[in-house]
Amino acid sequence: MPVFTRTTKNLILKIDEFFDNIDLGIVVFREALKAFVEKDMDAFLRHLSKIEVLESNADKLQRSIENEMITHSILPQHKAEVTALIDEMDEIIDSLKSTLNEFYIEMPEIPLSLGKSFINLSDTSTSAAEELVPAARAYFKAPYTVREKLLKVYYFESETDKISLGIKKTIFREMDDLDLAHKSHLRYIIHHVENISDISQKAADLLSGMAIKILM
Amino acid sequence: MVLFFLISGLFLGWSLGANNASNVFGSAVASRLVKFRTAAIIASIFVILGAVVQGSGASQTLGKLGAVNAVGGSFTVALAAAVTVYVLTKFALPASATQAIVGAIIGWNFFTGSSTDSRALEQIVITWITGPVLGAVFAVLLYILLKRIKISSHIHLIRFESYIKTGLIVVGAFGAYSLGANNIANVMGVFVPAFSLHDLHIWGITLSSGQQLFMLGGLAIATGIITYSRKVMETVGENIVELSSEAALVVVLAQALVLFIFSSTSLSRFFVSIGLPPIPMVPVSSSQVIVGCILGIGLYNGVHNINFRILGEIGIGWVATPVSSGLLSFFSLFFMKNIFGVDVGTKNVPGMDETLAQMQSITNGAQVSGIVKYLLIGLIISGTITFIIYIALDRKKKLSLGRSEEKFWKNLK
Repeated sequence: MPVFTRTTKNLILKIDEFFDNIDLGIVVFREALKAFVEKDMDAFLRHLSKIEVLESNADKLQRSIENEMITHSILPQHKAEVTALIDEMDEIIDSLKSTLNEFYIEMPEIPLSLGKSFINLSDTSTSAAEELVPAARAYFKAPYTVREKLLKVYYFESETDKISLGIKKTIFREMDDLDLAHKSHLRYIIHHVENISDISQKAADLLSGMAIKILM
Repeated sequence: MVLFFLISGLFLGWSLGANNASNVFGSAVASRLVKFRTAAIIASIFVILGAVVQGSGASQTLGKLGAVNAVGGSFTVALAAAVTVYVLTKFALPASATQAIVGAIIGWNFFTGSSTDSRALEQIVITWITGPVLGAVFAVLLYILLKRIKISSHIHLIRFESYIKTGLIVVGAFGAYSLGANNIANVMGVFVPAFSLHDLHIWGITLSSGQQLFMLGGLAIATGIITYSRKVMETVGENIVELSSEAALVVVLAQALVLFIFSSTSLSRFFVSIGLPPIPMVPVSSSQVIVGCILGIGLYNGVHNINFRILGEIGIGWVATPVSSGLLSFFSLFFMKNIFGVDVGTKNVPGMDETLAQMQSITNGAQVSGIVKYLLIGLIISGTITFIIYIALDRKKKLSLGRSEEKFWKNLK
């Protein structure tokens, strides 16, 4: 019988570990971006390799969670939604890794005057993802608290939009010394960082619907 | 020839197993929380146990309503009930075997000129109404309790679901036991007064005449579950799956409790011992109780758009099924007696000496008891073999799954 097997316990541990990976990935991303802006490349590379390990772990856990849910017929009524949520969350850590890789490959030149704004943008954008993780954890333990936790995700997403708009305005309207290619490159990088909060918002929309459904 | 007469009852049993097992395991199987194989094995074992251990209570009430005292009469009455259920279901009208058998017995009473015990009839009719109402009350109370436990315990959703899964198996077993205990009266109740079999002693267990018949009926129900209930569980069960998994558990438990209450003589005796009125031992329709349970939860959750058509159909079923079955039974008995010359029974005189009644019943102990004995031995042996094969296959499947998982990760590396 299901209660007497270790499957349930293992699956709960795997889901928790998956969320831990996302949480750690967010912290590492912030530190990596800070290191990049401060031009500390050793620290940046150390963080990049760390996030690669975390992303690979998250991928393995995602596959394992989905496999176990199918083979042991766990949460049959919510399987599709839970799988979709795990997918969306995995998308976040994928995006964190790919953004850091963009920085590493393209080496964007961030003007000194924009350094703080870039760090602020990264902090706010990742805060949206950071607030999503406890909400996703709460879905499994206290679904009635999910929606209030998600409010912060929506708040940080809209803040990210404002900050990115401000930086873009500064780049294109005030920094005449930069050439168009440089400006476009910076815009492209900003879009990548901003994208983290967009993915978080998408996951939050899904989670919000899931919470309503489970409480009905 | 005597065994041939049991066929109509066995057919009723088969159809009961095919249709009503979905009330017990439908939600669990349709939602894939429980495998059909597991559900069918558990339901079959517990339906037989319920029928043999606790089936006499509701049968006695049917016997009071009209003791069919010839096997030809029992055959015709059970056949009339089975045909009524089949035809009404074919025309998409809700028909319950419980109501059909009551109508058919009253038809026999009219035909033989026996009086119908109005008190027994009153008890039965009141139970048809109180069954779904009680189901609704139980369902709401259990639902509130379960919800509160879930919220206050902060239990992980996956752990909670695994408890629900186990709960569905345990409650399903209890539901199957109650179904067997309560509804066996529909299947074999009319044969009990007509058969007088020798007690069967096997491995220290003694089965009375009625219990041997209930065992045959239970086997017929189990055959219905194994051979035909899968489709019904997967289609009918989906209607219940619309509810959350905890609501599905509550619905099955509430239904099982109602069926158990109306078939437990010990509980009735306990009620009397504490100064309460006895509980009537009456077969109730599990499908109608289930509808009551679902409506109860729906009302609690604030659903205002109740489908009054379903309630209306149940109400029509309470009248239409016994009336059509009674008429069919009356005319079939007429044909059986006057055209085929089959003895369908004689008038029951109130207060008739028991020995006289015994004399009228058919004593065919050795033949039927022998069949029951060999069936029981065969069942235990085949059950044990099936269980061993099931465990072995399950183990093999798990091992190959583990190997393929290992291979997958190895290749991925």
